[in-house]
Amino acid sequence: MIDFEEELKKFQPSLEVEEAEDAIYNRNLTDMTDILRELMKGNEHA
Amino acid sequence: MKCMYCGAELTRDDFCPGCGTEVRLYKKIIMTSNFYYNEGLSRASVRNLSGAIDSLNKSLRYNKMNIQARNLLGLVYLEVGEMVSALSEWVISRSLQNEHNDAERYLNAIQKNSSKLETINQTIKKYNQALQYCRQDSRDLATLQLKKVLSLNPKLVKGHQLLALLYIQEGKYDAARKYLRTAGKIDSGNTLTLRYLKEVNGVLRGDVKDKKEKKEKKHEKNDDLISYKSGNETIIQPAHVKDYSALATIINIVIGVAIGACITGFLIVPSIRHAAQNDANVAVKEANDTISTKNQTIESLQSQIDELTGTINDAKDASQESASQMAAYEQLLTAFAAYAENKIEEAGEALSGVNTEYLSVAAKNIYDSVNASVNAQYIETAYQEGHTAYNQRNYTEAAEKLQKVVDLEESYQNGNAIYYLAQSYRNLGENVKAAEYYQKMVEQYPGTERAANSQRYLNTMDLPDENETGSEPGAPEDGSAEDGSSDEAPVE
Repeated sequence: MIDFEEELKKFQPSLEVEEAEDAIYNRNLTDMTDILRELMKGNEHA
Repeated sequence: MKCMYCGAELTRDDFCPGCGTEVRLYKKIIMTSNFYYNEGLSRASVRNLSGAIDSLNKSLRYNKMNIQARNLLGLVYLEVGEMVSALSEWVISRSLQNEHNDAERYLNAIQKNSSKLETINQTIKKYNQALQYCRQDSRDLATLQLKKVLSLNPKLVKGHQLLALLYIQEGKYDAARKYLRTAGKIDSGNTLTLRYLKEVNGVLRGDVKDKKEKKEKKHEKNDDLISYKSGNETIIQPAHVKDYSALATIINIVIGVAIGACITGFLIVPSIRHAAQNDANVAVKEANDTISTKNQTIESLQSQIDELTGTINDAKDASQESASQMAAYEQLLTAFAAYAENKIEEAGEALSGVNTEYLSVAAKNIYDSVNASVNAQYIETAYQEGHTAYNQRNYTEAAEKLQKVVDLEESYQNGNAIYYLAQSYRNLGENVKAAEYYQKMVEQYPGTERAANSQRYLNTMDLPDENETGSEPGAPEDGSAEDGSSDEAPVE
């Protein structure tokens, strides 16, 4: 049985065009390669 | 694959050939990113867009520089109606790699159609507003708003899902299923859509089963009704119904046959008769035309026949005329030949057979000349012979000879030929002929002794009727007259 309120919580507002700039700037683009690089640097220093 | 430190092209070794750094782990990360990219691509190809988004995001978490994954992620976002998310991914992709990047092309395409971008932006705003209405419990407004959004942006999967949720809440499962199916067509692997659909289908199937069970119970309770299944259908009918299907079928057949007969009798037969009549009229008209044509031909042929018959008759007449001409000329030649041989009698007989109508002018002149000569001699000879025969009391020969003389010249010997001819006939008992010539004597030679004698003979001679054949009284057999005068005529 579907609970309307619970299901409603799963729905999030969509980004509007005006919010796109902020969304892009605030995007965290760190990936595994960045983490690996950090680890490699830490090892070198050590 | 290039080294993340020096950018050298990596080989199969675990160390970079350029800077010597260990790259085994790096390689694994890149390969994992690629793996997730491939997975996202395969999911996107079967329209499992939610799964594709998940895989592509994983790919980018391993390697943010996977430009292809990022661009594909933007396309998938655009397909599910998330325009701004798509634009974000392409902008980031372009900033990470400026050259040889499809993201540039995608962004240019979006910028070219700015009105479309504005429309999508408005739909996103309305969707957010509808979501707000839902949270504020204004479901009717939210429903209306969402319908507007979906009419402008039919690819917005979230919009379909939210509207379906509202319909489910209102118990309108059919409507909910409709929108969920639309969302499923856009994004087939979306778990939310699938879950809602399962719920809705379950409810609907349950309703159908409940309705069926209720109906069955209702029918079972009713003693007047019986129900049974025939294949996939449930047939309910009164218990005491009588089956008149066979009788009804027969009656329907009879009615159908009657209708068909009426249609045939009132529609088809008259039209067939009319057509036959028209054909007959046409045939009669053609026959009449043929007859009139033949009649004309017959008339023309008949006129030709008449013309030809006339021509033939003319030819016959001409031929007869020619024959007659030839005969006349032959007679004339015969007469001329006899005359040349001094055969007067033969010449005279031949001349008497000549028809002067067919002689030419010259031939006529010859005929007249010969005739005059022959006649003169012939008459003289004939008269002499006739007279001699009369004197010898040979009245038959006398009548014959003198008749010829009279035929040629009545006034020969001043009427003596006529007189002696009449006497000969009288002596022969041919009083009618005798009377004829006596009358001529009286008329042509009045006052003469011979005329007086003729008159006397006429008065005394009994002209017989047709039935009388006896001799006539007062007709002496010798040539002397009753007054004693001599009948002998002087020979000239």
